Amino acid sequence: MSDTMVRMGELAASKTVGDMLVTLGLGSCIGLVLLDRRMGVAGLAHVVLPESTGHAEVNRFKFADYAVPELIRRVVALGARRPMLEAVLVGGASMFASIGGSMEVGARNEAAVKAQLATARIRVHASATGGNRGRTVRVDPKTGIVLVREAGSKDTQLYPATLNKLPTRTLQEVA
Amino acid sequence: MSATYNDIQLDALRELANIGAGNASTALSGMLGRPVDLTVPDARVVPMTQAVEEIGVPESEVTGIALGVLGDMPSVVLMLLTPADAASICALLGLEPDSEYAESALGEIGNVVGTSYLNALAGMTGLELEPTPPATATDMLSSLVQTVLASRAAVSDDALLLDSSMIVEGEGCSIVFLLSPDHGGAGELLSRLGVS
Repeated sequence: MSDTMVRMGELAASKTVGDMLVTLGLGSCIGLVLLDRRMGVAGLAHVVLPESTGHAEVNRFKFADYAVPELIRRVVALGARRPMLEAVLVGGASMFASIGGSMEVGARNEAAVKAQLATARIRVHASATGGNRGRTVRVDPKTGIVLVREAGSKDTQLYPATLNKLPTRTLQEVA
Repeated sequence: MSATYNDIQLDALRELANIGAGNASTALSGMLGRPVDLTVPDARVVPMTQAVEEIGVPESEVTGIALGVLGDMPSVVLMLLTPADAASICALLGLEPDSEYAESALGEIGNVVGTSYLNALAGMTGLELEPTPPATATDMLSSLVQTVLASRAAVSDDALLLDSSMIVEGEGCSIVFLLSPDHGGAGELLSRLGVS
């Protein structure tokens, strides 16, 4: 059992049992999770900014336009089947609403990652994005379970949807 | 621009941080009516991936007050304090920590302290530094620091951290102070000091 920390601009993929992929305290950054649950393969990218335009000399994987294709490549290299990939998005918050520049980075990151996923025809199955709270994300490649935690609270399962959420939905539909 | 700094340059940045923080602590002391001590400041260049751990425990809860800086050196000044220290500072100002005024009072402290810091830097270097209004948030340290660093992440994989701690006497509470300029900005600071 070990945690693989995915820090700013990093990405990782795994199919090892018990090898959790973790990003602590995402703010305006996006944690992009790709899963092939049947194959037990998961990837996590820590996207910092939307586009690499004009910044070729730095680590490109901090930008959505390079991070998304690279993460797809890495999970497929571990045996994930491309048509079966599911995406989960976490982060993209606005931590300091009134600071110029960083203001809309969270929302722009989310839009950029979604645009890349749309191009690759990968569907977003769940997301915990926006707002003004930081989030920690944990992914278990074996089970494909994605846990999210905000400051001062406990892990909650973001994906797959948990059973105790389903009855609520059924009741609403009946009503 | 992937810049590294030599020892003389880091010393110069450290000295700048010292004078800036000295000015800031005088302002804080005036607001709180208490003496405020300073720790020796540090200037470090660290890979962005390691910057959060350099500053503290990633998931620990902190209160951050951020001031954007426009002008000749676009940057962000971030002041970090524990929620307990934020409460003691509010108490010194005669405010309930959870009252609606607490957040704006902390923002105002950040404003005065951060602006004093920047004024000292501007005075020494002749740079135009124009602070934007403060923003306050209480959340995971990592979320606050990464968001500040993200605004500088396009041009470099490194973070330049100028930090100093101010300690309010008799209360045992401290404020950690970070200035995160982009690399062009730090180069501008150094050239004004004649050590570029």
